[in-house]
Amino acid sequence: MTTLLEIEDVSLLYGRIKALHGISLTVNEGEIVALIGANGAGKSTTMRAISGIRPIASGRIVFNGEDISKLRADLRVRRGLCQAPEGRGIFPGMTVMENLDMGAYTRRDRAEVAKDLAKVLELFPRLAERRKQVGGTLSGGEQQMLAVGRALMSRPKLLLLDEPSMGLAPMLIQQIFSIITEINQQGTTILLVEQNAQQALARAHRAYVLETGRIVKEGSGADLLHDPAVKEAYLGVA
Amino acid sequence: MTSVREWIYSGRHAVGERWHNAPRWMRWAVIAAVIVFFYALPNREFYQWLGPIPTTGSNFGQVLFTISIYVLLAVGLNIVVGFAGLLDLGYFGFFAVGAYTVAVLTSPSSDLKTLWPWLLALPVALVLTMISGVMLGTPTLRLRGDYLAIVTLGFAEMIRVAATSSEFLKGQRGFNQIPHPPGSYSDGKPIFGVLDPRPYYWLVLTLIILVVIGVRNLNRSRVGRAWISIREDEDAAQLMGVPTFKFKLWAFASGAFIGGLAGALFAGKQNFVSSQNLELLNSIIILAAVILGGSGNIVGAIVGGGLVAYMIERFRGIEFFGVELYEYRFMFFGLVLVVMMIFRPQGLIPNRRRAAEFKDRRKEVIVGG
Repeated sequence: MTTLLEIEDVSLLYGRIKALHGISLTVNEGEIVALIGANGAGKSTTMRAISGIRPIASGRIVFNGEDISKLRADLRVRRGLCQAPEGRGIFPGMTVMENLDMGAYTRRDRAEVAKDLAKVLELFPRLAERRKQVGGTLSGGEQQMLAVGRALMSRPKLLLLDEPSMGLAPMLIQQIFSIITEINQQGTTILLVEQNAQQALARAHRAYVLETGRIVKEGSGADLLHDPAVKEAYLGVA
Repeated sequence: MTSVREWIYSGRHAVGERWHNAPRWMRWAVIAAVIVFFYALPNREFYQWLGPIPTTGSNFGQVLFTISIYVLLAVGLNIVVGFAGLLDLGYFGFFAVGAYTVAVLTSPSSDLKTLWPWLLALPVALVLTMISGVMLGTPTLRLRGDYLAIVTLGFAEMIRVAATSSEFLKGQRGFNQIPHPPGSYSDGKPIFGVLDPRPYYWLVLTLIILVVIGVRNLNRSRVGRAWISIREDEDAAQLMGVPTFKFKLWAFASGAFIGGLAGALFAGKQNFVSSQNLELLNSIIILAAVILGGSGNIVGAIVGGGLVAYMIERFRGIEFFGVELYEYRFMFFGLVLVVMMIFRPQGLIPNRRRAAEFKDRRKEVIVGG
């Protein structure tokens, strides 16, 4: 199994506040890796560090054998690393199709883009129905799907998903996690940040638990799902 | 009340719908008619039939020239504010760079004594304004929102202060005898003279058409998509692989280029440039024009620039119970802005996307408490 993403001892500052205290994690090719933790634990911050939206203070991020710690965010996308931002990260004034089109912004291979578009629309039939609708008028769940679909349009080697289930109805949560599994089975490696630990751990091959900017536990998804401490803290069962 | 508003809204909507559904030839015919109308407008034989539209207190051709310069500036600023979503409060600074470059290179009062013809100074002015745009943009475009607005405001003020107090830039005495653009009629009389403002208006009008065609193509290209994505969500744009800084700089430089062009044209017409031409108010008027017309929409910017400049001039020479209305022109201007921001914050002719963004943001405000 080859390592696709390796984060070594990464720290990140928001002004004077240290948001990440030297975290390390790896993602292997073909895996779904989940990062779980409470509000403010630093999950989204980790994502921002990986995608390059926030600069890191120290440590190293290696993607596909290349040190990308200081690489600009847009160039990281060209290397095959794409993030679906949490919540309202879609372009509200663009139609569904224009949003998806923006996902393929870095690509020039029109024929392949068209194929991927067909695939995404097959994965998310709701988006196909609403292709001409403006992004800002979609429901929360549809926006979430659009964010994931748009990220897929860049044909990433590693897909970063930031809270894909946030604010969704239970039915939709099931649906979006099935789709995540499906995307993974089609060959995309996924790093997933989630508050919904139950679902995330059930779907992930491996997982990390983040607490106040530190990784406190790691293991296979199944192991963590049955870990008493994790159960108590994140799954709401004693 | 609501029913009247709905009626107006649906009427407007229908006009927009009809326009989009009209056959191609019909749309082109309408556009051609509008262009012909504006070319014909400064001729007395034509405008005398237009009732109260021509201004009474001043030469209508001259007023039209002023309006056309404002329209050109609004089209330029619309790239920066409307497309890329960068709040530039000092746009008139680029106009100043263009006008002063021409003045310094051509005027006999300049210390350089180069005495270039206008046409030779024009490309230098355009290149210099673009460079000044890049120079201002490189450090400041890493800032966002409010900070960018303040820095650009400072830029325009710096240029004004430099023009006022620097010996080289001649302060309020200014530069005189700036040459006109070249060209003469068959009888040897120059086309661009002192007496007739119409050829200048026609020149600017022609340039506006060319600039609009260029900007429209740019906006429909990858560059335009990048600008819109930056405006809508800068982080998301970056996450999609858009080099946001580069494209913001591009927007700034393109806007600066058009501002410089307007300044060079102004200098060539006016003959005279001094620091008195550089009031802060100008930057604000142009920004107001873009927002009033419909930020992000080229037609909106044209209408906004035209209306604002026209409104201000229209008050000249009108007395109302012994009060010279022109004195109160900015009060009316402010009133119109306030009314617009209450009833139509997206502008007269909004951009479809822009309208959706407004709704989206309003939702966000409510959610955030």
